[in-house]
Amino acid sequence: MRAAPVTTRQNRRFGILAIGLVSMIALAGCQAAEPEASGDPVSGGTLTYASGDAEPTCLDPHVGGNYPQALIAGQFLESLVSRDASGEIIPWLADSWEVSSDGLVWDFTLRDDVTFTDGTPFDAEAVKVNVEHLQDPATQSSTGYLALGKVEQVEVVDDLEARFVLSTPDSALLESLSQPWTAIQSPAGIARGMEENCQAPVGTGPFIVDEWVKQDHISLVRNDDYSSPPADAEHDGPAYLEGIEWRFVPDSASRYAALQGGQVDVIDNPQPDTIAAAEQGDAFKWIDAPRPGASNRIELNSGQAPFDDERVREAFVRAVDVNDGIEALFFGTAERSYSALSSVEALAYSDESLFETDLDRANELLDEAGWTERDAEGYRVRDGARLTLRFPVSTNQSIPAEQSLFEQVQATAKDAGFEVVIELLDLSGWYGALFAHEYEIVSAPYTKVGPDVLRIVYHSDSITPAPSGYFANLSQLNDPAVDALLTEAAATSDPDARAELYEQAQQIILGGYYLLPLYDQQNSFLLSTKVQGARAISTVSTPSFYDAWLAG
Amino acid sequence: MSELELRQTTVEASAEHPPTRRRDRLPRIGTLLAAAFVLFLAAATCFPGLVATQDPNQIAAAEAFRLPSLEHWFGTDESGRDVYSRVVAGTGTSLLIGVTATGIGLALGLALGVLASFGGRALDFSVSRLVEVLFAFPGLLLALLVIVIYGPGPVTATIAVGLSTAPGYARIIRGQLVSIRSAQFVESARVLGHSPARILTRHIVPNALVPIFVLATLGIGQAIVWASALSYLGLGAQPPAAEWGAMLAAGRTYLAGAWWMTVFPGLMIVGTTIATTVLGRALARRGRMHS
Amino acid sequence: MTRGSPADPRGQRRGRTIRHAGLLVAGAVFVMWAVATLTFFAIRLIPGDPAQAILGGPGSQASQEALDQVRRDYGLDQPLIVQYLAMLGRLLTGDLGTSYALKVPVADLLGAQLGGTLLLALLSLVLAWILALGLSLWSTGRGRIATAVGEGIELTAAALPHFWLAAVLIAIFSSGLGWLPPVATGTAAGLVLPVVTLAVPLAGFLAQVMRESLLDAMQQPFVVSAQARGESTTGVRLRHTVRHAALPGISLSGWALGWLLSGAVVVETIFAMPGLGRTLLQAVTLRDIPVVTGVVLLISLVYVLMTVLTDVSSRIADPRLRQEANR
Repeated sequence: MRAAPVTTRQNRRFGILAIGLVSMIALAGCQAAEPEASGDPVSGGTLTYASGDAEPTCLDPHVGGNYPQALIAGQFLESLVSRDASGEIIPWLADSWEVSSDGLVWDFTLRDDVTFTDGTPFDAEAVKVNVEHLQDPATQSSTGYLALGKVEQVEVVDDLEARFVLSTPDSALLESLSQPWTAIQSPAGIARGMEENCQAPVGTGPFIVDEWVKQDHISLVRNDDYSSPPADAEHDGPAYLEGIEWRFVPDSASRYAALQGGQVDVIDNPQPDTIAAAEQGDAFKWIDAPRPGASNRIELNSGQAPFDDERVREAFVRAVDVNDGIEALFFGTAERSYSALSSVEALAYSDESLFETDLDRANELLDEAGWTERDAEGYRVRDGARLTLRFPVSTNQSIPAEQSLFEQVQATAKDAGFEVVIELLDLSGWYGALFAHEYEIVSAPYTKVGPDVLRIVYHSDSITPAPSGYFANLSQLNDPAVDALLTEAAATSDPDARAELYEQAQQIILGGYYLLPLYDQQNSFLLSTKVQGARAISTVSTPSFYDAWLAG
Repeated sequence: MSELELRQTTVEASAEHPPTRRRDRLPRIGTLLAAAFVLFLAAATCFPGLVATQDPNQIAAAEAFRLPSLEHWFGTDESGRDVYSRVVAGTGTSLLIGVTATGIGLALGLALGVLASFGGRALDFSVSRLVEVLFAFPGLLLALLVIVIYGPGPVTATIAVGLSTAPGYARIIRGQLVSIRSAQFVESARVLGHSPARILTRHIVPNALVPIFVLATLGIGQAIVWASALSYLGLGAQPPAAEWGAMLAAGRTYLAGAWWMTVFPGLMIVGTTIATTVLGRALARRGRMHS
Repeated sequence: MTRGSPADPRGQRRGRTIRHAGLLVAGAVFVMWAVATLTFFAIRLIPGDPAQAILGGPGSQASQEALDQVRRDYGLDQPLIVQYLAMLGRLLTGDLGTSYALKVPVADLLGAQLGGTLLLALLSLVLAWILALGLSLWSTGRGRIATAVGEGIELTAAALPHFWLAAVLIAIFSSGLGWLPPVATGTAAGLVLPVVTLAVPLAGFLAQVMRESLLDAMQQPFVVSAQARGESTTGVRLRHTVRHAALPGISLSGWALGWLLSGAVVVETIFAMPGLGRTLLQAVTLRDIPVVTGVVLLISLVYVLMTVLTDVSSRIADPRLRQEANR
């Protein structure tokens, strides 16, 4: 915010550049040069974390499976594998793995020194129980259930050897298993039943759920017998912190004020203006950890008029100008994306030329498509119907800056004659609008590790709704060529061939103007400078406080 | 949600005061200022294009978060829009929300109040219980339910606020009518042999209307405030509509760096409340002096 | 307010009091029943399937079997009237049901939240009273300027939206001066900002009411004669008029508490306090019907109890009302 009084655009650009530089230095500082900067880690102390995400209704991420659950589950549950900063899958609870030549049988060799915090040993039987738990309809799993959709069964070869038998080859299996929604819990814990397991799931992680005071906080205490850090952790043995107090503070201004006042040590979901302000001082550190999977994008509903006509879709994409808005509203904390995938995905394909704003071209295309007349308010009409785009916006998912950006989309689209009707809705109402196909454009995040997210979001199978009405292919892209490419990519284990298939698919998706990419799915943490060694895990970018400690 | 309930005593008390004492309690200059402000509101409502300096919805991302200046009297918002022009453009919507919601509340309240005070004991008892039921429902919950059922937007927000103020009005109006019914001048009219209809139209209604009018002027500002709370929860006016409450809610995010985004719409709400109240009281005084 | 005739014989009065008490209780029971009924049917109007809410809320991808199972388990496949009677039956036995989203008994959930919200509301009520009394005592009957200033402050205070006042207070006292924490449950310091946020607009309203009563009281013969006896103005105000100013306020306290609970929805969200308001907002968002019903019933109960209490206490404070109630 304090950056506001700059006078010219050049100055603003410079300011943003400076912020960017400072943040890069800061990031470099907290990632690479950690130990030398702040001395040796000290044990003890309780870290207070303030989360702006919704309070989970169940702490077991197998049940349902959303991001708020993943955020906290990462502190007490662990997965078979993880992903390092370069995108490589690395060992965690599984030491190593091997896949059969037909891609249908995966053998995982497990660590032999791990026990759950209730004393149950971690073994192949536990893995089997967890997969069965995820696939049991009574668990009500959604995210984890879908991720393991190709796993037919798990066989216990011996104590430390678990064999996954698949129905079709799945090149995304390791990525799916790295997510917190498929994390491994104690079979004894699961056996307690859903009500109890939701209150305090039992895992192998560095912390243990001690108490959950609804709408206030969750107390986590250190697991003193901890022995299973992922391959990219900085140290062995128990965590440095004695515990974490995980608080729920829904209001972003209160959250930031609490960080400023020292009542909390870490906050998530900071507003862009507060990140920029924090970056200018040296009181806070910023961890910028975009989520994997799809980028934040506006999907164009090609399943019905007017966007069943590619010319109208291209006209919209050409008419809308978001670059200035992203710069101003996000204070340089978000970079414009030209891809369907998050920038953390190595296989993301970008094409900036497709998204250059060109109002003349937009007008031309709309004239060609028959939207030639304009009414008194300047909106285009055809056969007496106005060129109206209904835009349901979820107030739970879109931060104020994003809502403002959508207002700018609305204003710039008007120049070409589009009437954009923004409807701010709560989550239930928003899903209701989508299920009823009452939208022409919509922005919906989708977090998943790896490029397989493309299959979920753009395969024509995802147009068919689940019994609840849910469907993930919101652009309603229905192209057999895309389907074939995505299905083949998901079954291809050769990395180069897989990359080639995903690139071809993305070219068709982007080239058909089914979406307008905006930026990565923003995911940020602000930390007090006394917090050292905290990082975001490179799977779904949840924070890890295993290596964290509190300096003086 | 019906602060107006609080006014019951205010209004009853003021109805009994001799006009002269009330008269010198407010300086006349205040009345003039209030009238001027209401004139400005009327101009902004009827001719927003003449009063505004710029297009209220003109986006200019590069001009975002400008301090108030000669070019932008009230500064600019996060999308570079002119806050003064948006405040002007929002006058109509905001007043419409305030006036309509108050109107809905008053109409319902009047119906219930008349039923309760003239319908005999049994009807009085049941209507009073009904009003209590509505009262026991927290106002914001009533509003939330209406919005969740019928979808968000200015119309539902207005209806929701109107509905939730109705029980308050009903109570006040009932109390008002009951006390007038037994007042001395009504008794004397009855003794003089006037017909009940004439007593109602000539004596009771005019004497009840004045305080109700005062209530209404107070209600407008309150309705706008409550509508803004719905905007804060993301359930009020839809963008890009420049409604004061929505502007207040949107600007709150940037309070630390851009105070002008909330202070000016906030001042308009406060100003409207004070101006309508002052004018309402002044008019009520005149009404009493003539009757 | 009507002035009643002189006191009736005692027996008659006791009979009236008993009858009045009976009416009060019957009225309270009726209100609770009607609130439960209204809530039950109003919530059914909300678009969306309760079975979805049970299976992980909006956006869940529950299977058809899971949905059918849940509909059977929760009796959602029964006719509406059967569901309604079942709910009434459960309520009569004191069973509020189980939360759809959190899968815990509603009574436990609300029991844990009630204390915090009541404390917040009561403290705000007390502070609002103090502020209002102070302002109206200071500004009433001291000339036009004091009156204008007083009324200006009252009207401004009453026109402040909670969410905005809260943001300003946090910006000044937490971010700016660092005196008070914006979020700190269970500590006295953490309660200051939320209580002030709720109290200030309410004080604006109360002060307006009190000013009128004060003006009334100051015209009363006993005040005039006290002044004639040479007592100081302040002394007269404190000794004779405050009680009169307070009277109408007492009868409004039941109402004010309901008003504060509405405000608590916003205030508890901003200051991250556990409480009924936040529970209610979350339950409406998640379509958690048993929790919404539970919160509404609980708030109604508090309201009804407050109404009875204020009725009784104003009758004790002002004998004239005993007549009025039986009019």
